[in-house]
Amino acid sequence: MQPIQTLKRLKQINMDYYSAAHTARQNGKFIAYVNAFTPVELIYAMDMIPIYPENHAVILAARHLSTETAKAAEGMGYSMDLCSYARCDLGSIKLRLSPTWGLPKPDLLLISNSQCGTLTKWFEVLSRMYDAPMVLIDVPHSGHGEKDEAAERYIRGQLEELVGTIETITGRGLNQARLRETIRLSQEASVLWTRVLTACANKPSPMTVFDQFISMAPIVAQRGTQEAVDFYRELGEELDQRVQAGVGAIENERFRLFWDNLPLWPELRRLSTFLEERGACLVASLYTWAWARLAVGADDPFKDWTEQYLYTANLHLQRRIDEYATMGKEFGLDGYLYHSNRSCKFLSQDIPEVRAAVTERTGIPGVILEADHNDPRLYTIESLENQIDSFIELLSSSRRSG
Amino acid sequence: MSVEDPWKPFRDVMQNPWEYARAWKERTRGKVVGHLLPDVPEEIIHAAGALPVAIEGAGIYASHAQAHIPGYTCNHAMGALELGLRGDLAVLDGMVIPYVCDTTRNLFHIWDRCFPDMANEFLRIPKRIGHPKVESYLTAEFQRFAGVMQNLTGESAGPDRFVSTAALYRKSRARLREAYDRHRQQPSVWTADRINLLTASALRADRAEHLEWMEALPWEDHTAEDSSSRIRLYVRGKVWDPPGILEMLDSLGFIIGRDEIVTGFRSIEQHGESSLDPMETIVRSHLRRVPYPGYHIDPAQAVEGFVARVREATAAAVLLLNPKFCEAAAFDTPDLQVALEKAGIPSLVLETSARGVSLGQIRIRLEAFQEMVSGELP
Ligand code: SF4
Ligand code: SF4
Repeated sequence: MQPIQTLKRLKQINMDYYSAAHTARQNGKFIAYVNAFTPVELIYAMDMIPIYPENHAVILAARHLSTETAKAAEGMGYSMDLCSYARCDLGSIKLRLSPTWGLPKPDLLLISNSQCGTLTKWFEVLSRMYDAPMVLIDVPHSGHGEKDEAAERYIRGQLEELVGTIETITGRGLNQARLRETIRLSQEASVLWTRVLTACANKPSPMTVFDQFISMAPIVAQRGTQEAVDFYRELGEELDQRVQAGVGAIENERFRLFWDNLPLWPELRRLSTFLEERGACLVASLYTWAWARLAVGADDPFKDWTEQYLYTANLHLQRRIDEYATMGKEFGLDGYLYHSNRSCKFLSQDIPEVRAAVTERTGIPGVILEADHNDPRLYTIESLENQIDSFIELLSSSRRSG
Repeated sequence: MSVEDPWKPFRDVMQNPWEYARAWKERTRGKVVGHLLPDVPEEIIHAAGALPVAIEGAGIYASHAQAHIPGYTCNHAMGALELGLRGDLAVLDGMVIPYVCDTTRNLFHIWDRCFPDMANEFLRIPKRIGHPKVESYLTAEFQRFAGVMQNLTGESAGPDRFVSTAALYRKSRARLREAYDRHRQQPSVWTADRINLLTASALRADRAEHLEWMEALPWEDHTAEDSSSRIRLYVRGKVWDPPGILEMLDSLGFIIGRDEIVTGFRSIEQHGESSLDPMETIVRSHLRRVPYPGYHIDPAQAVEGFVARVREATAAAVLLLNPKFCEAAAFDTPDLQVALEKAGIPSLVLETSARGVSLGQIRIRLEAFQEMVSGELP
């Protein structure tokens, strides 16, 4: 297997990002803790650096520090049933244990519950801990994503009000030209990220979903900056060359699989090797695709953010089934690996229904793997591997008989 | 109705709420609408001519539901699904699931697939309870909900009907608050278990009928009891769970000073101004009620407000009934406990609906807590 060269740049990009965050104050910048569905372009335009505590937890898991940090949070009274991102983050603060020298103290905690309700509660804890102001962008989803004008007014009002809150914190007004520029950069990064993901529809796929997971940090945290644009342009070009040369992400691609939900961060390397040895390549995941859809237009970004949080991010069951079925066709999938993630109830509770419906619709089988994205105490990797093995065996035998 | 035992009608409703709803339906030819707690405005369902019935999943053993929702789901949601799958909810014409957390958000869609013949509605409850724009949003949402209910029943809730419904609920809640007060004066007659019987059955029975039943209760007997040796508790939680916990608290000599349980005091706490338009009253009552853990207010105020409420209730101790797998409740717990400790108020967390935990174990923990609070333990 030929490794993707551009990915080597990530280490430096991440280091620069966290150094910039730690030196924010010296450079006249402010820190906002945020999540996926917050107007990050506005944050960058208003001299704030967005920090994702979820990403910090990922780094803890990747460095095999999640057990220690999660245990520390449990010692503080946080139940083991809570999202392991939150537990790892809170435990890391308690232990002062972090490969990124911790996270800088926030000037603002900004969250939208368009994602999950957990983040609101987690940020409430951080707000009390740091005595920092918190703003929740409250998104009351309609059940099936029906148009809801009252909700649109409510959300837009909160977003517009946010500008004033940030101005009060930073003492600076919003510069429209800078906002247009961060929006332009965010759009560009999103288009390039989409190109990266779409490249995986090729056979063989030039990249696995494991590589996508590793390379998503800039689209998450640096959407709206030149760094993200440069990185994805380079990555996209390298993938194009691989496609033209017929270089696959794995040696002998026999099965093309979908990964649902968050990865098992502590097991990326192990699972990636395990699948490769069996000729199975993960080629698509809704989790990485989510970041391709977050750019807004410069004409009325408040309207776009509102609609995005209220409608696009409302990943209700039917929508999920439709998307998975479409991806089944577009990516030539042989099977779906559904990660039923104890920590992320938001993305996991409807998996039994999703699996049944997707298989009924597409005829493509799926297997449910009960695990956790950050806490290795909550699953046994060997049993998961056995389950995947049996699933691949099922795919092989149906190919033989079909 | 039994003359000898005025508590019987309430007990009958609670023993078989589905049978009660079925009989009501036959009698009135009306529609029955189930709703998951908390904060579904019963008045809107009632004013449309339907019977609102609260669905409580806690304490229900789940076997069918496991195929549709993972085991790391709170029992409130899982148990409700189980009730539906095992056929208990066949009497329902509609079901309302409020958006209070990720679990109810997912449950709504799972429900819709499992019960396609029911009219299922997702109530879009805002979480940012203190925000200035929340009132106009919630008004629009409740008006939309009223329209949905009227479509279901085919009856239009004109202004008169809404006014009379609001008056009925005000009267009923006032009576229930009176009963709640009696618990502290005469805890051996108006036991915590019986108060719950009254409030919980009010969420399932025809309110007018329920109010009539309440008139037969022993209101005249004012014999004051010496309850000085009893420990006054403040309780936070979703529902009284596990079933039987109130009997246990009664028998161990606790008194409920105040609670935030959604089927408890929280369901009767707001009186509601009669001078306002009924919709305005419902919206304001919703926003003034003690915030449910899934809602958001200023984080520091959430903790300070809680301790203030405990103090105001002159409670000697706090019991936190945290439903297993409920993120909304569990995230708050450590900070609440630290703040209570600073205030010198002892607290106990019981994880409820935790599979594999017996009532016996809970009793042992409550006994130890009681001894500690009464100073018998170091
Ligand atoms: S519950 Fe899911 S979406 Fe929410 S913080 Fe945890 S992993 Fe992220
Ligand atoms: S708020 Fe908690 S108890 Fe209520 S449905 Fe959600 S998870 Fe369950």
